Amino acid sequence: MPELSAIRERGRLVAGGAVVGGIATPLLMVGLVVAAGTPPMAAAETAFAFGGLWFGFGLLGWAGSVASGRAVEAAQEHLETGTEWTERRSRRAMARIGGFGGGTMVSAAVLGTIVG
Amino acid sequence: MFPKRFVLKRLLLLVPVLIGVATLVFSILHLSPGDPALTIAGERASQEFVERIRADLGLNDPIWVQYIDFLGNVARFDFGESYVINRNTTVREVLSNTLPVTLELALYGQLFGILFGIPLGVLSAVKQDTITDHATRVGALAGISVPIFWSGPLLILLFAQVLGVFPTSGRISSSFSVSAIRVTGMVTIDTLIAGEWDMFRSAVRHMLLPSLVIGIYSMALISRMMRSSMLEVVRQDYMRTARAKGQGAKITILKHGFRNALIPVITIIGIQFGGLLGGAVLTETVFAIGGIGTLLVEAIEVGDYPIVQGTVLTFAFLFTLVNLVVDITYSYLDPRIQQ
Repeated sequence: MPELSAIRERGRLVAGGAVVGGIATPLLMVGLVVAAGTPPMAAAETAFAFGGLWFGFGLLGWAGSVASGRAVEAAQEHLETGTEWTERRSRRAMARIGGFGGGTMVSAAVLGTIVG
Repeated sequence: MFPKRFVLKRLLLLVPVLIGVATLVFSILHLSPGDPALTIAGERASQEFVERIRADLGLNDPIWVQYIDFLGNVARFDFGESYVINRNTTVREVLSNTLPVTLELALYGQLFGILFGIPLGVLSAVKQDTITDHATRVGALAGISVPIFWSGPLLILLFAQVLGVFPTSGRISSSFSVSAIRVTGMVTIDTLIAGEWDMFRSAVRHMLLPSLVIGIYSMALISRMMRSSMLEVVRQDYMRTARAKGQGAKITILKHGFRNALIPVITIIGIQFGGLLGGAVLTETVFAIGGIGTLLVEAIEVGDYPIVQGTVLTFAFLFTLVNLVVDITYSYLDPRIQQ
């Protein structure tokens, strides 16, 4: 079914970003603890807020792409800007960014619960 | 026909937008320095007192618990109470007092921009390369280039100090009290509803200058957009066909050209409204009008986090709502957009 494959593709995009976020979080926390001397719990909280920035940005960007992406794409085509920016690519990029942020937030919450 | 599916899709998009903004606001405030408990208690407060406040506010909970609680509160539009600016007053109450002030200012500014910008743009396009066109274009360029913090004081100087036509600041003459007739919080509308004509006249006189200041930029942008859009439309085949069929120039412009040329202008008006809300911060400061913009700046300065969160989310909600109205409007003007 085409719908199912589209959902699977979107899921893969978000999950890919989330996995990268999940892996990056312990590295960020270790960096904060070792380099800045931040207590582990505070490092987890900072990582969570950091992930929140990416998640919020990704979500806003995705919604913006869905809402106005086609209009922007059409305007760019009309103006012959040659940027090759497309609604689909923007949506996919934002899904990845949002997934990365979400993964970071979840990973930081899990690690924070463990170290806290 | 009313585009139900289109509107529903746009309304559903409000959810990720608001969650995105709420998450960004929450994260930025958490990453920024400062302790809300210390802000409330004051720097001379005892450690015990600060700890008690921290526990009351749930600041001892892990950040993910605070985040989930925050999203729940956002869904109910409950941001708690103001820490500093209006102690023991809910953010909702503070916003209900200040939001109508900014909205009134932005609405009149927008109205001014539309009422003058669209006809000027049409006139400029119809009279292309004449002295009228050049004057309108130079005026529009000046309107876009002049910042509010410069045009505001200059207009005050001219109209209030030299000519004495308009008052310099405030929303209504100090001899009137509008609290008894408050319905919408917008003084011009409240006084009109109450039939208080003296008060209404005073409110309009107070509102004219700030609206003019905030509306100049909007008017300039709208007229430029309307001109270029109209110039493109008049070159279309259907316009030539209408003229070839014997239709007069004015009728062709108004009946066939105007509606089509309006589509990109409507988009600009929507985006512009967000800019007007932002521009209201400066105008409110110049004219000493206590609106949501001034409130936000003050809240950031003193670290009143609930006010900051409530104000930013209200801005985001308003902006997306205006864009929804814009989308509906241009889907009405051009039904192909609904596809």
